Amino acid sequence: MKLTTLFNEDIFVVTGEVGPIKGALSRDKSKVPQCVKEAELLKDYVHAVNVTDNQSAVMRLGSMFASVGLKNRGIEPIYQLTCRDRNRIALQSDLLTAYSFGIDNVLLLTGDHIQLGDHKEAKPVFDLDSVQLIKMARKLVEGYDLTGNRLENGIDMALGAVVNPNFEPLELQLLKMKKKVDAGAEFFQTQAVYDEAVLERCINLASKFNRPIQLGVVVLKSPQMGNFMNKNVSGITVPQEWIDQIGSVDKADRKKKAAEMMGRFIAKVKHLVQGVHIMPLGWADIVPEILQYAEIEVKKAA
Amino acid sequence: MHATIQKPIEEIVSFIKPGEKVFVVGCNNCAWKCHSGGEDETQKMAERLIRRGINVVGYTVPGPQGMSLCKLSNTRQVLQEDYKQEVSEADSFLVLACGQGVHTVIDATDGALVHPGCDTIFGGETVSDNEIEEFCSLCGECIIEYTGGLCPMTLCAKQLLNGPCGGAENGHCEVDEERPCGWIMIYERLKQLGRLELIEDYQSPKNNAKWSRPRSLRVSPNEATFCSIAGRITVSNQD
Repeated sequence: MKLTTLFNEDIFVVTGEVGPIKGALSRDKSKVPQCVKEAELLKDYVHAVNVTDNQSAVMRLGSMFASVGLKNRGIEPIYQLTCRDRNRIALQSDLLTAYSFGIDNVLLLTGDHIQLGDHKEAKPVFDLDSVQLIKMARKLVEGYDLTGNRLENGIDMALGAVVNPNFEPLELQLLKMKKKVDAGAEFFQTQAVYDEAVLERCINLASKFNRPIQLGVVVLKSPQMGNFMNKNVSGITVPQEWIDQIGSVDKADRKKKAAEMMGRFIAKVKHLVQGVHIMPLGWADIVPEILQYAEIEVKKAA
Repeated sequence: MHATIQKPIEEIVSFIKPGEKVFVVGCNNCAWKCHSGGEDETQKMAERLIRRGINVVGYTVPGPQGMSLCKLSNTRQVLQEDYKQEVSEADSFLVLACGQGVHTVIDATDGALVHPGCDTIFGGETVSDNEIEEFCSLCGECIIEYTGGLCPMTLCAKQLLNGPCGGAENGHCEVDEERPCGWIMIYERLKQLGRLELIEDYQSPKNNAKWSRPRSLRVSPNEATFCSIAGRITVSNQD
């Protein structure tokens, strides 16, 4: 089901996220890949699950195949597609293929630079940028390819995009967001935000675009992770008080603490947004508890 | 200008077979500015090769100062006339210049064996005697009217044409915390110029056919024809 259907019914949309495994699927069917295990844990608590595309430029199993795998297990995937590794021919072909496999939602992104990943000498493609990618996907929806050739069948997918409220200067990030809206983006997910003021400032300026926005949250698992993200993950800032708070409990109690911290934060800011996108990074099992603390009941579409 | 850096001497020496007679050629323009193949470096290269037992039959940097090795007519005259004797003895030419200069020596010698003595790294601005910086990627389709004269194909690590990605932090690019975000530079410059609205214009995907290789240009005083796999584009410089 397209996420836009949920947004149109004013449902607060909850999504999770999994990263495909580093490796191929085993021919031994009894070996369930980690990303499927995580998605199964999320299944009853979210509307859909993002499937990352060689996230952080680390080479992995393909996001399209993993998305199809989730779909076949009754989990609604949001197929992530980046510009980093494909030219415009491959991007269009992959969108046609993804739709043909039954995928209804796509998140269209620039993609992290190759320098952040594990194949630093690869050729970065970036034939299109994310605005051009969204505009091209819109044409596929309308039944045409990028150069105007008529398609036998177009795609009918909800087109998602991202915005980073942490970006300075924010005005520049919002100029880009407006271009994404004009290009045809139907919903937005934000980069991870840990600061109510940062989110509020962005939402106040972005609300005029009249597109549903999901708050992005990355589950903070340890103080080390907070420091690591501040140093190494582009576009995310974890405030020191969050790092201190997760560090204030023993390792054994951190899952509980993380669920409480994330949940309470979401509860506080959820009135600003139309949904939440939870990136549990392996702690999918605490998502139900996060939602409890956040006082969010996941409503299915009518 | 074409920025070049010398290859390691061990690599250069490995190109040359035992007994091979080598003539060393430098460039009096870009490679001179880069200290990779000016008069001093070319003479030193000849000496360095001789110290390593290589038979160097001569060297030159076609002049005058400021003359590019890639100007074929000049290079041909210097190699075929001024250094006729030495050149006739040479089995090969070691060229301390960019890839265009290396090819110019092939043309100037009617197809002699050449060895590259440099890696050609980019086209840049000579900011000072000690600094060369890249501002243009030679893509064949200039959009810098809309970006305050700053090229996102060059200054943005992802060559994004419609604004920044979300990866910059504290004004710096996600690939390198020392490197400023090209799009923040563009934004600040347009803001300063009072032309920020230009960022709102949608920029179409690049016509990569204009960036195909090899490309050529035919010129006359009144018009020029640019040839790439995008076709032949003739432009006039008249009214």
